[in-house]
Amino acid sequence: MESKSGVGVKTLQDTRQAEKGALEVRPSRAGSDWIAWLGLLPFFLFAVMFLFLPSLSIFVRSFQDRGGNFTFENIIALFTVKDIINAYRMSLTISLITAVGGGIFGFLLAYAVIMGGLPRVLRSFLLTFSGVASNFAGVPLAFAFVATMGNAGLVTRLIEQIFNINTREMGFSIYNIYGLSIVYMYFQFPLMVLIMAPALDGLRREWREACENLGGTEIHYWRYIALPILLPTILGAMILLFGNAFGAYATAYAFSGSFINLVTILIGAQIQGDVLYNPGLGNALALGMIVIMSLTMVGYVSLQRRASRWLR
Amino acid sequence: MRRVNLLAWFVFMLGMIYFFLPLFSTFEFSLRMKKGVYSFEAYRVAFQDPGFYYNFGSSLLWAALTILCSILLVVPTAYWVHWRLPKARPIVEFVTLMPFVIPAVVLTFGLIRLYGGPPLILTATPIPLIAGYVVLSLPYMYRSVDAGLRAIDIRTLTEAALSLGAGWGTIITQVILPNIRVAILSGVFLTFAIVMGEYVFASLLGWPAFAYYLEEIGAMRAYTPQALSLVSFGITWSMMMLIQWIGRGTRGAEQVAAAH
Amino acid sequence: MAFLEIRNLSKYFGKTVAVKDFSLEIEKGELVSLLGPSGCGKTTTLRVVAGFEVPSEGQVIIDGKDMTFTPPNQRPVGMVFQAYALFPNMTVAGNIGFGLKIAKKSKEEIEQRVREMLELIHMSGFENRYPHQLSGGQQQRVALARALALRPQVLLLDEPLSALDAKIRVALRAEIRSIQQELGITTVYVTHDQEEALSISDRVVVMNNGRIEQVGTPFQIYNFPQTEFVAQFVGTLNAVIAEVMDVKEGVLRFDGQQVYTADKLEGFRSGDRIMIAIRPERLSFANEGRKANILKGTVKNITFLGSIVRIQVKLGENIFFMDTFNNPYLALPRVGDLTEITCSKEAVLVLQRRS
Repeated sequence: MESKSGVGVKTLQDTRQAEKGALEVRPSRAGSDWIAWLGLLPFFLFAVMFLFLPSLSIFVRSFQDRGGNFTFENIIALFTVKDIINAYRMSLTISLITAVGGGIFGFLLAYAVIMGGLPRVLRSFLLTFSGVASNFAGVPLAFAFVATMGNAGLVTRLIEQIFNINTREMGFSIYNIYGLSIVYMYFQFPLMVLIMAPALDGLRREWREACENLGGTEIHYWRYIALPILLPTILGAMILLFGNAFGAYATAYAFSGSFINLVTILIGAQIQGDVLYNPGLGNALALGMIVIMSLTMVGYVSLQRRASRWLR
Repeated sequence: MRRVNLLAWFVFMLGMIYFFLPLFSTFEFSLRMKKGVYSFEAYRVAFQDPGFYYNFGSSLLWAALTILCSILLVVPTAYWVHWRLPKARPIVEFVTLMPFVIPAVVLTFGLIRLYGGPPLILTATPIPLIAGYVVLSLPYMYRSVDAGLRAIDIRTLTEAALSLGAGWGTIITQVILPNIRVAILSGVFLTFAIVMGEYVFASLLGWPAFAYYLEEIGAMRAYTPQALSLVSFGITWSMMMLIQWIGRGTRGAEQVAAAH
Repeated sequence: MAFLEIRNLSKYFGKTVAVKDFSLEIEKGELVSLLGPSGCGKTTTLRVVAGFEVPSEGQVIIDGKDMTFTPPNQRPVGMVFQAYALFPNMTVAGNIGFGLKIAKKSKEEIEQRVREMLELIHMSGFENRYPHQLSGGQQQRVALARALALRPQVLLLDEPLSALDAKIRVALRAEIRSIQQELGITTVYVTHDQEEALSISDRVVVMNNGRIEQVGTPFQIYNFPQTEFVAQFVGTLNAVIAEVMDVKEGVLRFDGQQVYTADKLEGFRSGDRIMIAIRPERLSFANEGRKANILKGTVKNITFLGSIVRIQVKLGENIFFMDTFNNPYLALPRVGDLTEITCSKEAVLVLQRRS
């Protein structure tokens, strides 16, 4: 009885070795090397024009005032202007809530369908659905939740009819950071499921059996083996969720207009020229986002590297 | 397998309630356009609005252009990296992951600032829009194609074809493309789903698009936007089903991450 | 009394029969191999002994105690898996000491035992390495140490060498055997590699389709296969259908040529068609003057296999392999030559099957 994934692993390593071998055997063609690089020119040209130059311009202009003179004012404003600090605080809070909440429940959901003994149909159903839901954001998502929990939403009305409670008078509103968190979860859970599913599949049956064979129980297995192995993946996924929420704009904008001042909303307003029009400040806001997102990606990549070392 | 776990069922049901309640609520709401009775009036009205066709059509056009550009950009690059420049892979991979680091709003902001004025004014053309979409789809397209190429040992195939006297045109169209068709298609459908639901670029760069239209009528009307929201969910879903159906048997088809 | 006893074991998965009516007694300190092609039920049998599968019928008795329904974590059984079964998040020492940690042994005791085990497998100094830093052979040695650290009464090995390179496989199987003998531990060894089973075991159980085909020492299994399956599966073999000519004298006939067998032909009648087999190494070129068991044929092919030379001789419809030891002065026929080959009466095996 051979484990399928075991076979997969072997062939993967074999091809990798084969690849390496082929590289070593190949005579070096130093002369034609730069010609080979030319083949990637269109790709890099595109990347420079539409990724790096815009980012670079954001960076440069973060240090410019309206007249184009060098200044630290914008950067200082990031840390001093109250609205901006609040926006960052709001963005970070909602990202943190939805990353941790979405991470925990998404993990449980993935565990339930992959290892919980549910019928296999449910597993592929959930994975397909997660593919959809993780991409379902923005305007339609906001509408869906307004129709559910908004002032005239289905759940709101049901609670009113069944329990005779007016949730609005109770002080409940979904048009705040917690309401928005619930909405964000709609794409955060599925993303977590999609990341955790292969990792849970990567837990080898032999580990559980070896643990049992050595006298361990289910609890020992999770405490000493499964959780430590999964931890880098779980944390890495949560970081990704964090970045995912941090960069989201459309959902928040459609859901609450400009009521909730997230950083993305502020930048959007800068573009549309609504309020506090100051391009330098907009650039600095954007730069701040890039810095935070870069940090999350560094964290994600390093955790991912650790996880892949174990889960191969 | 293992015994059925009550907790697992509980978690799963909880998840299903969370996922389907909003969909059901939206559906219920969209049926209430006529006072007192449930009807599909909202759907009828929605599909009568010429604005819907204009914006939906625009999104279709953007999606088609994006897919075309994305394939032309990604497939040769990925192939070239596999065949001639394996050492360039980390750099190319890094670039394709950049969209995760630079949120769409930030990128739009940068594009407008950079190409909104001299020396190169592009904001009057849809180029920044399509470029933005291509950037957004880059991680998915590149990963799909890369996985496809990795699975077929491109080097051996190319060398075998060359040794049999095939020209480059033949190699690309007869050997490489048929073998990575599934990978390309899964990238295409993902890109399609992303572009059809995308709001940020279109609204901030000021081009008609389906999501933008949804938001606009949402501010003015009730019922029809909800109906269209469900339609858009349905479109995304059918795209994912298509990916699954086409990719059945190949690994990694389930790996679809979020994009906003 | 046997130390490990498997009584009338059957295991069904739905409608498929994995193991059917399997009975085996294993003595203390004995190493018994379960040998057979994949899907023959050998791994299932092992997993029943380990407790990972509950049998549909039958019993597992270890040291006089019925353990059929004892959960795996309470059995005095150590197991080595096919491959990649080390806990990737723990060091070598962590892996070996895991069972002791679960058993709440003191830190000093665990350290002491880990040191002993590392000495046993000749890997002292590897305490703090992680599995992904070890070669496949080293990983499997650590897995063996991990299984032995708890001093189990029975050791189970499930194709432990199948993922390794040929050379390491040979070296490691010798090492496993010597450790097993040093500790005197009762061992069940599952493999599909007949050479491995023959070289390592006290006794070999050949299995096919969930049933036992034959149980015996490697010597018995190789030299006296009792069924066609065993004969075909173990070693190389020339098998042909022959017609019984004379039951009493042991005369058989195929391809118009007569051969004598030392095997008994009781129960057969003249004219019956039966399967006979001759091992390649039992055949040789016929010397002048030899009369009996001479087979005439044509040389079809000659292959050098290093220490031996394998010659293919065409006898009518059949091609026979004949092995001779290689030496520089060997006088070999040429391909296409007519030749006569021969073997003793004892080399002609009657496989118990009528056709």
